[in-house]
Amino acid sequence: MSEDLAKLPPQVQERLLRLQQLQQTLQSVLAQKQQVELELTEIEQALSELQKVSDDAVIYKSIGSLLVRTDKAKVTADLNERKELLNMRATVLGKQEERLRSQMKELQAKLQQDLAPISGTQP
Amino acid sequence: MAGKVEEELRRLSVEMRILEQTAEALQARINMVNAVITDLTYANMTLEGLEKQKENTELLIPIGGNSFIRARLENPDRITVGIGAGVSVEKNIQEAKEIIRKRLEDLEKSRTSLQQQLSQVIDKINEDRERFEELAVMLRKETPAKDV
Repeated sequence: MSEDLAKLPPQVQERLLRLQQLQQTLQSVLAQKQQVELELTEIEQALSELQKVSDDAVIYKSIGSLLVRTDKAKVTADLNERKELLNMRATVLGKQEERLRSQMKELQAKLQQDLAPISGTQP
Repeated sequence: MAGKVEEELRRLSVEMRILEQTAEALQARINMVNAVITDLTYANMTLEGLEKQKENTELLIPIGGNSFIRARLENPDRITVGIGAGVSVEKNIQEAKEIIRKRLEDLEKSRTSLQQQLSQVIDKINEDRERFEELAVMLRKETPAKDV
């Protein structure tokens, strides 16, 4: 495979490498985005559960392996703050994803043009 | 003709690799769901056992390593249940059991759906493999003298 790659013009090799790098970056961005979305879903669920309990309900927040006593108002505020932060992060990651996808599309189109004459000459 | 067969072989080989990765990922998720189901089943069993106990019953609480500390049951009707995002809420035993029952129900549904997806992927892999072997035989017959 690497021998085949070496036969390609240097400019095409460079573009292929760049495409691979973009793909890896996209994978990492997607993984981060999924993580953030997962945490957001969990926070949403916790917030909706919290809405169902009375204001003086006994509530604990985990800190490492400990459960520390807290109250509904405080934990709701904490979760909302975390949610806001994660929403911001999700937006940033979404924009990154969009940019990477369009860069990759552009590069793929160029590579198709580069490779069309090469694959055409093969039996 | 040989070119076409080779192309399909290549396509099948890529497709099978992707399907195998998908199958592995699905299996990993099924294992994870199974682990949570076991955990919740234990919790449910504990609650059911606890329900029959009176206040001040002597208990041994596991601390890992097959070791226990002695404790007394202060209030069998107050159970602290995690609701996600690191938050736990105190519930009475019926509410706690209901939460666990609901979670188990959801997880069973997820497990069934994951198992269905996995069997579909496995079927497709087998189908691809058969076609791959068929084509490989065809290719060998077509190009017997050619050195590869």
